[in-house]
Amino acid sequence: MNVLSVKGLTKRYPDFLLQDISFELPQGKIMGLIGKNGAGKSTTLKSILNLVNPDAGTVEMFGKNFFENEEDCKQNIGVVLGGIDFYNHKKLSDITAVTKRFYHNWDDDAYQKYMKTFSLVPEKRVKELSTGMKVKYMLALALSHNARLLILDEPTSGLDPVSRDDLLGLFRQLVESKGISILFSTHIITDLEKCTDYITYIKDGQLLCSDEKSKFIKSFQHLKEPGDKSDLSLEEIMIRTERSRYDV
Amino acid sequence: MMFKLLNKELRLAAHPNLFIFTLLGVLVIVPAYPYGMVFLFGCLGPYITFMYGRETNDIYYTSLLPVKKRDTVKAKCLLMVLAQMTQLLISLPFAILRLRVLPAGNPAGIEANLAYYGFGFIIYAIFNFIFLTEFFKTAHKVGKAFLLAIIPAALGVLIMEVIVHFPGFKWLDSVEPAMILKQLPILVTGIIIYALSMLAAFKISAKRFQKVDL
Repeated sequence: MNVLSVKGLTKRYPDFLLQDISFELPQGKIMGLIGKNGAGKSTTLKSILNLVNPDAGTVEMFGKNFFENEEDCKQNIGVVLGGIDFYNHKKLSDITAVTKRFYHNWDDDAYQKYMKTFSLVPEKRVKELSTGMKVKYMLALALSHNARLLILDEPTSGLDPVSRDDLLGLFRQLVESKGISILFSTHIITDLEKCTDYITYIKDGQLLCSDEKSKFIKSFQHLKEPGDKSDLSLEEIMIRTERSRYDV
Repeated sequence: MMFKLLNKELRLAAHPNLFIFTLLGVLVIVPAYPYGMVFLFGCLGPYITFMYGRETNDIYYTSLLPVKKRDTVKAKCLLMVLAQMTQLLISLPFAILRLRVLPAGNPAGIEANLAYYGFGFIIYAIFNFIFLTEFFKTAHKVGKAFLLAIIPAALGVLIMEVIVHFPGFKWLDSVEPAMILKQLPILVTGIIIYALSMLAAFKISAKRFQKVDL
């Protein structure tokens, strides 16, 4: 069963066009949404969440039309928008106290457990947290209302390699132990190698490919050049696809 | 839902200044003071809170909660109504108290009487309508929305404060029972205009915010 099914998502800006993006995320899988900076990853995620009004396309979440069942669908998802800090001067305990009232499935015991597991101190203010800790706090909120789908916009960007590895390990654990599905955007290729099952690649607002990881890699082997002995890695695929030549 | 949204506004979105400006309803006990300033503080409070909300990404956060997009607008409208009504309520006992302790009236401008409160509702209605509908065109241009809204609101205050100095409008400055009765229609009209303006502001702002790309 697909937890998320995106069809023909299109968003026109005066100077950018996100065109006909379609992909499906099965339950209990991790999908990496990749593309270079400005390719349209964030616009895709924001369009899925109705933060940005798509000009065309449908989003089905848990089998329901998201735009028609927004409140209902949002009860079951957790979202982390990279680079956007909320309420920097507020204590985590205050944000939690407000947030938990909005969720039918809020589980206080689970919340306490995640706060402890992630070494988060409720009395700390958001501005006192490191980038990785901020992501973990948002995850703790999402997991405490039993989110079945996590949508994360560049959750690993700005993290040191150790924190990144730690977070990616956590993603895998959540998928394996709780059957959660994760869609996350990234431009860091090692993230994909370490933890994704599916990859969706967007280039200049267009969908290049969305497939299971091994099939995805296979479908790009035509980029091999004479002298390449082994299969192209994800990094080589992306670099060769995006490479530009400057006439200088 | 209304209470959850208001709880969020008060605990996370509101700037501390909003609470201070709300308390400034007590200014009607100052012996000689242009009490119209109270309403201007009631406009400044929400402005600072909206600006603070932009810095704390409050609109983003609300939009990610399990609420409809228009609930984000509703939350802001509710907060404004709550702050302004609380401010007027706070001022009320002091307006009554001044009848006893300051029977000579207010030489600086309008007396804190029924007409004053009626004008207050109208001034708030003007400010809120322009401010909210303009702000939710973009959900970030708060300075422009404030400027467009505060100019007519301040003009309203100015007219209210000046008009009572003209002999023909002396009854607006009175706290005599007979004159108070004459002022009652202003208060009723003010309340009706305020309610209609908030409803219209919410509907138009929600429609505009629907089209905003965050």
